[in-house]
Amino acid sequence: MTAASRIAPADPSAGAPRTDEAPRGAADRVRIEVRGLVKSYRLHGREIAAVDDISFAIREGEFVALIGPSGCGKSTVLNMIAGLIPCTAGDIRIDGQPVRTGRPAPAVGYVFQRDTVYPWRTVRRNIGYGLELTGVPAAEREARIREAVGQAGLEGFEDAYPLALSGGMRQRVALMRTLIVRPEILLMDEPFGALDTHTKLDMHRTLLDIWGRERQTVLFVTHDLAEALTLSDRIIVLSARPGRIKETFEVTLERPRDPVRLRESADYADSFSRIWHCLGEEFAKAKAE
Amino acid sequence: MQKRIWVHLAQVAIVLWLLATWEWGFMLNERFDWLVPDILDPYFVSQPSEIWERFLSLACFTDINGVSVFGTETGFTGCLARTPDNLWAMTWATLYNTFWGFVVGVGSGVLIGLVLGRYEGLARIFEPFIIAVNSLPRIALVPLIVLMFGLGDLSKVMTAWVIVFFLVFFNTYEGARSVDRDHINAARLLGASDWQITRTVVVPSTMAWVFASLTPAVSFSLIGVIVGEFIGAEKGLGKVIIEAEATLESADMMVALFVLMVVGVALALGIRRVQAYLLRWQAHFHEVQ
Repeated sequence: MTAASRIAPADPSAGAPRTDEAPRGAADRVRIEVRGLVKSYRLHGREIAAVDDISFAIREGEFVALIGPSGCGKSTVLNMIAGLIPCTAGDIRIDGQPVRTGRPAPAVGYVFQRDTVYPWRTVRRNIGYGLELTGVPAAEREARIREAVGQAGLEGFEDAYPLALSGGMRQRVALMRTLIVRPEILLMDEPFGALDTHTKLDMHRTLLDIWGRERQTVLFVTHDLAEALTLSDRIIVLSARPGRIKETFEVTLERPRDPVRLRESADYADSFSRIWHCLGEEFAKAKAE
Repeated sequence: MQKRIWVHLAQVAIVLWLLATWEWGFMLNERFDWLVPDILDPYFVSQPSEIWERFLSLACFTDINGVSVFGTETGFTGCLARTPDNLWAMTWATLYNTFWGFVVGVGSGVLIGLVLGRYEGLARIFEPFIIAVNSLPRIALVPLIVLMFGLGDLSKVMTAWVIVFFLVFFNTYEGARSVDRDHINAARLLGASDWQITRTVVVPSTMAWVFASLTPAVSFSLIGVIVGEFIGAEKGLGKVIIEAEATLESADMMVALFVLMVVGVALALGIRRVQAYLLRWQAHFHEVQ
C-alpha cells in the first residue's frame, strides 16, 4: 500500500480525495474554499499572470501543504485567502463567507515567513499582543502567555527583547503570538524557511504537537517536500509560473509522526520519490525561466 | 589597561599644552611670527588667567575687585542680587528657553509628523508648503521672529522651535511612512482596528526614528536660542557673547563660550541617557551581559 496516492490531476473538485475510505461526516465541513482563483499584475505595461485558475477546498481539521517552486504564486494564493491582497478573478470563501481584502476573517491566524515579532515589545508582550487587542483581562492573559511560553520552550525569556533571541526563537514567538488567540484556521507562509535544519525539525515537532491537540484547519505553504510530507494530510503541487494545480497527493503516513524517525520509514521514502518527480519537473521549469 | 592610562595622559598633555600656548604663546609672536599666529593675541582670544578671573567675577565667586565673596557680609547671594547680569542668571535664561523650545518643538513635530505620516491624503496637500519652508534656512527667520515676538523669552523659544520642529517633524514623518508593512499586516490579521494599529504599531515603530533625532534636536534648540539672543535679548549666554563683542571684552566672551560648551555636553549626555532607555530594545543600545 502506498502512503501517498495520486488524485486525478488538475481536477477542480480535488478538494474531496477519492479514496475508498468511509464517507466523511458533517463534522468535516469545508472551511476554506477557493474557486477559479486568478491573480495577475501589471509590470512595465505588461500583464503578468502569477496564479491561474486555482481551485481547491479544505475541510475542518485538515492539514494541507501547498508546494511549488519559487515564483509559482503559492504565497500569493495564501495572501489572497488571508485577505491581504485582492484577487483578479475567482471566488474565495471561508466558512462560506466571501473573503474581503483588508478585512481578514476573525477565525483565521497567519504566520509570516520572516519573523514579524515587534522588536519594541518583550517576548511576553509580543505573545500577548492579540489578547491585548481583544481586551482579555490581565490575569487570564498572563496565564495563557505562561502556557504558550511553555509550549514553545521559551521559559526564561519572557522579559527579553527579540533582539536577544535567535531567529528560531523569534519565529517561535511569532508562532505562539498567532496560536494564543486560538484561531481555528491557520495560514502559514513558509514559517520555518529561514531556520537551520535542526531548529526546523524542532519546530515541526512543536507544531505537530500543538496541531495534534487542537486540530486546526491548516494551509501550509512551503517549497520543502520533506516538510510537507512530515506535516500534512494532503499535498497540492503548484506548477511553475503561472501557478496552476499540477497534482494533488494524499498523504497517509501514520500519525503521530516524529520528524526525524519518519524519514527512516520506507513509506516516507516511497512517497517522497513519487511526489519529488512531479515537483522536480516544476523546479526545472522555474529555473529555465 | 595600560593603554587607557596612556590615552588619558596624552589627553591631559594636550590640554596643558593648549592652555600654556594660550597663556604665554603670544609672547613669542614678536620673534617667531611664522610659528605663532597673530590671532593668538589676547586682545582677540584672551588668556586663561584673565578668563578665570572674569569667570570668578561673573559667577559671583569674587566681587568686582577680585576679592572672594565667601566670608563677607552679603556673600554669594548678595552678589547675585546686586549683579543681575551674573553668569548663573544668564545661563539659566538660556537653559530655560532651550528646554521649552525643545519640548514644544519635539511635541509639535511628533504630532504633526504622525498625522501626516499616517494620512497620505493630508500629506499630499501639505507637502509643497512644508518643502518650501524647509528649504529656507531657518536661521534667516530669526530677525523676523525677534521683531514679531520681542526681546523676551517667547522669541527665543520660537527661534528654537522653528529649527527643532522641522527636524523632528521630518524624522517622524519618514518614520511613520516607513513602518514595516508586515508589522501592520500582522496586527491586522490579529484583529487590530485602524486606531489600534496606529497606537500599537505605527507609534512605537516611528518612535525609534524620533528618538534618534532627539540628540540633534537638543543641540539645535540650543543653537536657536543662542542665535535669538544674538539678534535681540535681555539676557542669556548669547547676549553675553554679543555684548562682549561690542565692548571688546574677549575674556567675557570666552567665559560664555566655555559655559556653553559645558551646557552643550551636559545636554547631549543627558539626552543620550534618555535615548538609551527608550530604545533599549534596539541592538545599538542594548547592554549585553
